[in-house]
Amino acid sequence: MGVNLSGLTEFKTIELSDLCGKTVAIDAYNTIYQFLSIIRQPDGNPLNDKNGRITSHLSGILYRTSNLIAQGIEPSFVFDGKPNVLKKATLDKRKDIRDKATIEWETAKEEGDIKKAFSKAQQTSRMTPEIRTSAKELIDYLGLPIIDAPSDGEAQAAYMCKKGDVYASASQDFDSILFGAPTLVRNLTITGRRKIPGKEQYRDVKTELINSQEFFDSLDITREQLVDVCILMGTDFNPGINGIGPKKGLKLIKENGDLEHALHTIGEEIPEYQDIRDIFLNSTYSDDYDLKPKNIDRDAVIEMMKGYDFSQDRIENTLNKIEDSRKANIAKKKQRSLDSWF
Amino acid sequence: MFKAEIKSETLKGLVSIISTLIDEVKFTVNSDGMSLKAVDPAHVAMIELNIGAKAFESYSATETEIGVDLDKVKSVIKLAGPGETIIMEQDEGQGRLVFKIGNITRRMNLIDTSCMNDPKVPQLTLSANIGILVDQLQKGIRAAESISDHIALKADSEGFELSCEGDTDFASLRVEKAALESLKADSKVCSLYPLEYFSNLIKAIPSGTIVNIELDDDYPVKLVFKLANGESTVSYFLAPRIESD
Repeated sequence: MGVNLSGLTEFKTIELSDLCGKTVAIDAYNTIYQFLSIIRQPDGNPLNDKNGRITSHLSGILYRTSNLIAQGIEPSFVFDGKPNVLKKATLDKRKDIRDKATIEWETAKEEGDIKKAFSKAQQTSRMTPEIRTSAKELIDYLGLPIIDAPSDGEAQAAYMCKKGDVYASASQDFDSILFGAPTLVRNLTITGRRKIPGKEQYRDVKTELINSQEFFDSLDITREQLVDVCILMGTDFNPGINGIGPKKGLKLIKENGDLEHALHTIGEEIPEYQDIRDIFLNSTYSDDYDLKPKNIDRDAVIEMMKGYDFSQDRIENTLNKIEDSRKANIAKKKQRSLDSWF
Repeated sequence: MFKAEIKSETLKGLVSIISTLIDEVKFTVNSDGMSLKAVDPAHVAMIELNIGAKAFESYSATETEIGVDLDKVKSVIKLAGPGETIIMEQDEGQGRLVFKIGNITRRMNLIDTSCMNDPKVPQLTLSANIGILVDQLQKGIRAAESISDHIALKADSEGFELSCEGDTDFASLRVEKAALESLKADSKVCSLYPLEYFSNLIKAIPSGTIVNIELDDDYPVKLVFKLANGESTVSYFLAPRIESD
């Protein structure tokens, strides 16, 4: 889930083509959850093969990644490692929500309430070891870099972005900003029309580009202060203070300077706050990664996806599309501009 | 102030060269003629064009700038028959350009030139210099098309070569020194260029035109040629493709 800061500012929307020639580190878990949640049949059931295995994430990885590459974007996927112990409460809570939603989904299906069934089904998305393994297998066959983060994937993505090895971190969460990523891209893999949860309305989801420094400047705070704001609101690592959202939190930190003083002012306590700050400000990361895409292992992709009952024609067309766009992108890179000779 | 008469063929020749790169252009006008410098949006190619007053049937102008949409000018040219004269006049008060072809009058709004800056011209000293009939280049391009998206231009002391290598196929056109208009190449030089830009330009040059090619290793190429019965000079710069990183 991560912190939600969308209420604090309007972010700049961009076209995918604006990211042409750029590399992005995709928060793999976050994106796979998005696929599991969105790519479903009308009654809420995820896409399945005839053995009942879930294939929503594979569909998402194959087709939506090929869209990115067609736009000249080179994605890499960062997988979460061991969750921080402080995240356990959040993970438990997510499990409770899933369990509850699973029961409600069944009931809704029995009652024939398709809309409710779909919305409840979305909340049941779960990352099983099988989903994780098959996702990694497909990404690897596609020749796209996989990075195993020691702990939080967004911390690793932020580190690679700060080093300049990737242009941006891509996630729906804002945590990348707290982890120190200079640039965050939101709605990278899910652009287009999307239903508003619980409503019969659709909105256009546009890709957003967030420059962290500009964001801090617009709020007139530092990254450290923003981390403090989020600890007040609640993060994946702590529940936060009841009744404090982004706006109130921001006001409290700006008026009091930091978390310690803000907590004192409102007479509250967050015992583990120093540990949470550390997670964001002194995060663990790995230097063991290779961001060079490899060639697609066509046979392996086709073999694997056929095993999941995907149509061979469609897979081949998609792979052709990826390979053609790659070629065009390489040609584009080799082409110099006259600017070098002025 | 700007008022001129020009043969429709001459105007068509000039416009088709410029529009291989860009549609909205700014002409700088004075009593000696018109000139423009334009670069394509990707900054891969640039054109520098000077049209002398003698390229026109009649010409009178004082210093001014004219911003036009060449797409519209092309539609005007289509209204003219072969050998017909097109009269162009700037309406300064209305910010318009008025074309008259026989009994047709065609007015168009001028484009605001205030934010159109002339691009800088690359400063190049290129070692090889080749004079060649455009017809030879056009033949070479026809052979190269559909093989790859780029071509190699090569020169050595014995001749000039245009070649194209794809994943599986190869085509080349070699012109020995005797068949060239001129050749000066002390050592072997070679650069790669995007075929589409090169081919669009070369195809737009009228048959029989001598093109002067200045070339070097992994450098932009400079093509110089004359249009409008030699009264107009075009310099075209095209950035190379570099294979190694």
